[in-house]
Amino acid sequence: MTKPNKMHRLRLWAAYLIVSLILFGLIGRLAYIQVINNEFYLSKALSHQIRDIPLPALRGDILDRNGMKLAFSMSTFTVWARPADVDDPEAHGEALSTILDESAAGISARISNPESTLVRVAKGLTKSKADLVRNKGLKGVWVTESSKRVYPYGNFAAHIIGHSTEDGDGLSGIEQMLDEALSGLDGKIVSHTDAAGRTLPVGDEKVYEPEDGYNVVLTLDEVIQHFTEKAVDGGLKDFGAKRIMAVVMDPMTGEVLAMTTKPDYDPNTPRELTSFFTAEEIAAMDNDAMFQAWNQIWRNPIVSDTYEPGSTFKLLTAAAGLEEDKVSVNSTFNDKGYIIVNGVRINCLRSNNPHGLQTLTQGLENSCNPVFIEIGQRLGTETFFNYVEDFGFTEKTGILLPAEGNALVQAEERIGPVELATMSFGHGVSTTPIQVATAVSAIVNGGNLMQPLIVKSLSDDEGNVVESFEPKVRRQVISKETSDEMRKMMESVVLKGSGKKAYIPGIGVGGKTGTTEKLVDGRYSKDLAYASFVGFAPVDDPKVVVLVIVDEPKDINFGSVVAAPIAHNILLDTLRYMKVEPEILDAAKMVTVPDLTGKTFKQAQAILDASELLLNTVPIDLDDPEAIVQMQYPAAGEKIRQHSIVILSFDTTH
Amino acid sequence: MKNETQGIDYALLVVVMLLVFTGVMMVFSSSFYYAMAKWENKYLFLEKHLVWAGAGVVAMIFFSLIDYKLYRKIAFILFVLSFIFLGLLFTPLGKEVNGAVRWVDIGPLTFMPSEFAKMAAILYMAGFLENRQRKIHKFSSGLLPVLIIVGAYFVLIYKQPNLSNAITISGILMAMAFVAGVNIFQLMTLGAAGGVGIYAAILSSEWRARRFLTFLDPFKDTFGDGWQVIQSLYALGSGGLFGVGLGQSTLNKLYIPEPQNDFIFATVGEELGFVGSSLLILLFLFLIYRCIRIAMNAPDQYGMFLATGITAMLAIHTIINVAVVTSSMPVTGLQLPFISYGGNFLLMLMIAMGIMLNISKQSKSIQTKQRES
Repeated sequence: MTKPNKMHRLRLWAAYLIVSLILFGLIGRLAYIQVINNEFYLSKALSHQIRDIPLPALRGDILDRNGMKLAFSMSTFTVWARPADVDDPEAHGEALSTILDESAAGISARISNPESTLVRVAKGLTKSKADLVRNKGLKGVWVTESSKRVYPYGNFAAHIIGHSTEDGDGLSGIEQMLDEALSGLDGKIVSHTDAAGRTLPVGDEKVYEPEDGYNVVLTLDEVIQHFTEKAVDGGLKDFGAKRIMAVVMDPMTGEVLAMTTKPDYDPNTPRELTSFFTAEEIAAMDNDAMFQAWNQIWRNPIVSDTYEPGSTFKLLTAAAGLEEDKVSVNSTFNDKGYIIVNGVRINCLRSNNPHGLQTLTQGLENSCNPVFIEIGQRLGTETFFNYVEDFGFTEKTGILLPAEGNALVQAEERIGPVELATMSFGHGVSTTPIQVATAVSAIVNGGNLMQPLIVKSLSDDEGNVVESFEPKVRRQVISKETSDEMRKMMESVVLKGSGKKAYIPGIGVGGKTGTTEKLVDGRYSKDLAYASFVGFAPVDDPKVVVLVIVDEPKDINFGSVVAAPIAHNILLDTLRYMKVEPEILDAAKMVTVPDLTGKTFKQAQAILDASELLLNTVPIDLDDPEAIVQMQYPAAGEKIRQHSIVILSFDTTH
Repeated sequence: MKNETQGIDYALLVVVMLLVFTGVMMVFSSSFYYAMAKWENKYLFLEKHLVWAGAGVVAMIFFSLIDYKLYRKIAFILFVLSFIFLGLLFTPLGKEVNGAVRWVDIGPLTFMPSEFAKMAAILYMAGFLENRQRKIHKFSSGLLPVLIIVGAYFVLIYKQPNLSNAITISGILMAMAFVAGVNIFQLMTLGAAGGVGIYAAILSSEWRARRFLTFLDPFKDTFGDGWQVIQSLYALGSGGLFGVGLGQSTLNKLYIPEPQNDFIFATVGEELGFVGSSLLILLFLFLIYRCIRIAMNAPDQYGMFLATGITAMLAIHTIINVAVVTSSMPVTGLQLPFISYGGNFLLMLMIAMGIMLNISKQSKSIQTKQRES
């Protein structure tokens, strides 16, 4: 019996060394797979094993400043069938017929069609109907839930609210601008599955609750918006214009109280083109043309497009002249009906009958071009441009609405004497309406250029404010004294000058008209024009600034004739709503407002007639006599004058 | 007699029992979902495995009591028998499974001749090497006869085809020859030649070539040959440092085919993490260390060579299995000792451990005697 010798032991140790090295190498390999690079394998593995069932977040509401719902989401239900699984189509058809309001034969034919794998039996069902279908427990038939965006007032404030797709992606307006905040975060149920796709039991399932979207509270006041739309609709009829834009702003805070462009669209049916184009035109559209048409009707021109402000721009020139002491309210000018600038003759509008000797105030009343050309010359290009900049015409206002446009202002170094002259009275410069409203607000509010606001706050579903947008002064442009002088001069324009049609007895209204011929193919057109009016009231304590722009009015082009009356109507209703009382009280009888909530449209009308009160409805074009009054303004029991308007808002979803 | 029973290597016994226990646990953890899904009995593999493991423990105890020197006398008969069994595969008794004939089917009994051959070859080779100790370093009387035996086994097993076991048996016998003292230079030359041969063997068959390429880039073929390896890597990666917990693996839920077999280490890695999988490897390393110690301290050269062969079998199985599961080498079907679901290999392994215990018992008793004298 020979025993193992030294060589054997040595070789055994060597063998063990080799085995050890290999096994430690494999441990290293394991460390690489399991610890160092495990994310790579883990994420790949999870993509195979994990199944997500989405839990969609509820999209937030859009509300006016008083909490009125302008857009909300609601659940809607769809009934599906898989013909392969439907065992008895006749019985199914019979069972569904009454619930879905369709003939039993029709349903059974559709759900037994062997050519389709999946049939949408019905959509847009209410929860109660969906429950009825569910309770039938039909084989091969099931119900899914989805949400639908509802704009209860149709066209109302359409360009501001915007609209979203069926999947809840904001496409325009606030829906687009604040899409992220409105959308919230979708939740999901994550479960592991085996290789056959079955959910694995015990503890593997994770539920991530959805975070519902925030509600957006607009600065918009539903009542003022309503007045504005009514006035604009009226103007559209009266003047046969192509379109009319109007903005109502609180000059002290920069909050937009109303903003409308008519004609507008119904966000419930945003792709409906029939009210803008003829059937032949629509039929002739290809895909691109269709998209172009949609973008055109969805676009908010008050923020996205520019127009020539014309004479309303003279306010800037006058304010700059006063602020720089180049002119005073009572400085006199002698108008010959024209002025020669650098050898070019520039006419006043009334060149055949010159204004003659006039003060600055009178020059503004008359909207006399040579006066402002002279002020522009006294200021000089550099100073004038400083004011163009300071009043915010070279930058976007930053309002929370999509696709804000830039003003078209020529570069300072390209401005010669003639260009300076024409700019002084508002020609050769293009601005967005929102810029003009913001700049005029600065002129009348004591000189502060405000950040225009459309959104007041974001709040969660419990009503807690998560973000609020406070009024913000961008900069002081003119002094308070200059602002005071400007307000007085603008009041004079309404009392004595071109703005007479905006006059409201007993309330100081200030304003300025503007008329510009449109540039068509690079030339000013004789027939096509923008007629505009910008006004504010009351003069001593401005509460609202109103800008009305009438695009291509028929026959009469003057802002004084076309735009001022619309602004007048808006101001009249709005100031009354804001309880700005005229100073001279007439002897009119006061009446007590009756309680109308819960009454039908017809009943309310009769009661108001008896009290000699007028009425306005929200929505404007309500024609359902059985609609129920939901809210009223003023509240029941308040004393108001005879022939005042009571605003009733109706529930149209009954 | 009292001294002799105290003499067995208890460390070896404890590690083996620990591994057997781990195996029972892992077989159940990895197979219950698969067994439930396919046979609606989640205990199916656990029950069968417990039978194999129980039989294995009994066999280990039984063989630990049998003097290993006895095998020397019957080794030649076993050696001849192993060739007869391997030959049976080429008769109608051979049972075809998945395109390979690896099982002999005799009435109620099916067994794998290659598993039997592994053990028979070790038993025979140990004696063969002891007899040739003095002329082992000479090629004609040392390495050449060894090569003839290796070659005979290799060809017969390779023809089944069962390349992995053919390589394993060759590896075991060559490891024994190495320890016995064959010329290192000759061995290295042979190793180089063997490498070329294996390479040629791989390329000779299309499916083997495909399997080989799969190992180089398993993600190239996610639904074909790469499937098992990828699922195995997913499992290991999902386990991370500490694992997802016993019974919590996802990848053994029908992703890895037959998760209780050759790829059971993937479930170990997923459920017990890097900590668990590396600890298991260290446990094997310790087991191999004990076996090497037993070989060194064997009372005679036959015992030493026998222990060397068994140790080599253990080491080669462990290395190849872990290497396959970690995609460090091409996929070949080899079980992980003690852990993979039962069968002939587990039983044979337990018998081998019984023999190791017997060798350790005798060496200890000799040492004790030496100390006493």
